[in-house]
Amino acid sequence: MTDFRFSYPSRSEIANQVLDDLLRVLADYSIDEDLIRGLTLAVSEAFTNAAIHGNRERPDKNIQIILRVMESEIIADIIDHGKGGVEQVKSKEPSTSMDEGGRGVDLIRYYADSSCFTEAEDGGLKVSIVFNRTKQKTT
Amino acid sequence: MEIKIREQENVAILSLSGRLDLASGATLKEHLKKLTDEKTIQIHLNLAEVEFINSSGLGALVSIMKEIRLLKGRLTLSNLASYVQEIFEITQLSHIFEIYTTEDEALASYQPVEAN
Repeated sequence: MTDFRFSYPSRSEIANQVLDDLLRVLADYSIDEDLIRGLTLAVSEAFTNAAIHGNRERPDKNIQIILRVMESEIIADIIDHGKGGVEQVKSKEPSTSMDEGGRGVDLIRYYADSSCFTEAEDGGLKVSIVFNRTKQKTT
Repeated sequence: MEIKIREQENVAILSLSGRLDLASGATLKEHLKKLTDEKTIQIHLNLAEVEFINSSGLGALVSIMKEIRLLKGRLTLSNLASYVQEIFEITQLSHIFEIYTTEDEALASYQPVEAN
């Protein structure tokens, strides 16, 4: 198992850098292109939520991303230092088609093989997203 | 994200390339605002070169569509890569956007404006 740890400021525009970092790290592994697309999308959504809703873009609060690449699966933890929000996520209804926001959690749930929203040690929100590598397409 | 704009028979055609997310979505909305301020309300977005789109990018497109509908204009999309198409379907947005396979098909759907 290999762990990659990143820390980012709570600015939504950093999402591009997050994507670049993920793609750079994952390029060293033989990973299906569809899995990479789903993983980067899900982490991007969790990061944006952490920056905007979790840390409320406060400059004194960072967002941690821990990426664990294993033979059978990849797990990404996205941790903010906000005021939690587990119950809000659990009770969230799917967004309607004319909403301008609120689709991030729906996309995480769709693309990840499993996702878990728990309270972080300091009371923030920890999003754990699991992707199964064994269902990769064979070419 | 890069945005190339051209006009053809009263339709502004915006070819997007790169990532469509929160930051680039805001840039796209600014471009659309300039066009609508100039009374251009028939807009086509060619997404052929969009390599990534997330919920923030989708939100920007919904916002643009609502604005154009308020102005009684039209917004069409074309050339969605399969994974972008999939995201539109997952989010049900494929039902509310006018999506064409090719840019030519989309442009053919616009009624020609009669000369005064």
